[in-house]
Amino acid sequence: MNWWLAAACALVAGGLGPCLWGAARGPAGGRVVAQNMATLLLCLVLLLLSQGYGRPSYVDLALVVAVLGPAGTLVFTRLLGDEMGERPPGTRLLTPAVLVGAPATVVPMCIAAGPGRAAAKLVLIGVLLIAGGAVTSRAVRRG
Amino acid sequence: MDDALVVAALLLVAAAATVAVFQRDPARQAIVLSLLGLALAVLFTVLQAPDVGLAQLAVGSAVTPLMILLAVRKVRRKGHRK
Repeated sequence: MNWWLAAACALVAGGLGPCLWGAARGPAGGRVVAQNMATLLLCLVLLLLSQGYGRPSYVDLALVVAVLGPAGTLVFTRLLGDEMGERPPGTRLLTPAVLVGAPATVVPMCIAAGPGRAAAKLVLIGVLLIAGGAVTSRAVRRG
Repeated sequence: MDDALVVAALLLVAAAATVAVFQRDPARQAIVLSLLGLALAVLFTVLQAPDVGLAQLAVGSAVTPLMILLAVRKVRRKGHRK
């Protein structure tokens, strides 16, 4: 029994599932928020999977998501701008989710990895996640 | 434990694909489609094919929705002009 994989499984079922539900119904703004939340959760899931399988090279996937996820959300906010309206439902959840989720995943993994290049990469992913969360939540709030 | 992960990822992919099919508005369909891309990336990673997952992420999360939304925008603008 691997606790990292168990946490990843719980995040897939309890995090990405509701995100899909949120993206499938409701106004356009709420859907974009759900998509942004899904990219954040996916990044955390991939980090947990790389630790769970014991393959540090899988961290690259999380790095790609941390860069491309906010880009995708910005594409949606730019092109759906007139339909979204200001402060779509669920916007308030974004910032706390990033600020709690990113450190809660990255810090234990850094401790498990020990100091070195791997830990630096993990910290970089955490910083990218927080920066991306700040940029996208501002863009979504403006509508 | 591995089986549970594979089953969860497969269920997520199936649900996302079904939802994407049943959306009516193309712009909202693009959002669900990007979620389908993310779910597929998880599935590929769980099945130990991270290289495929990487390609899926690069294409599915940003490029495909961008192309769909640009096409929708252009079509709508042409419709307005007529």
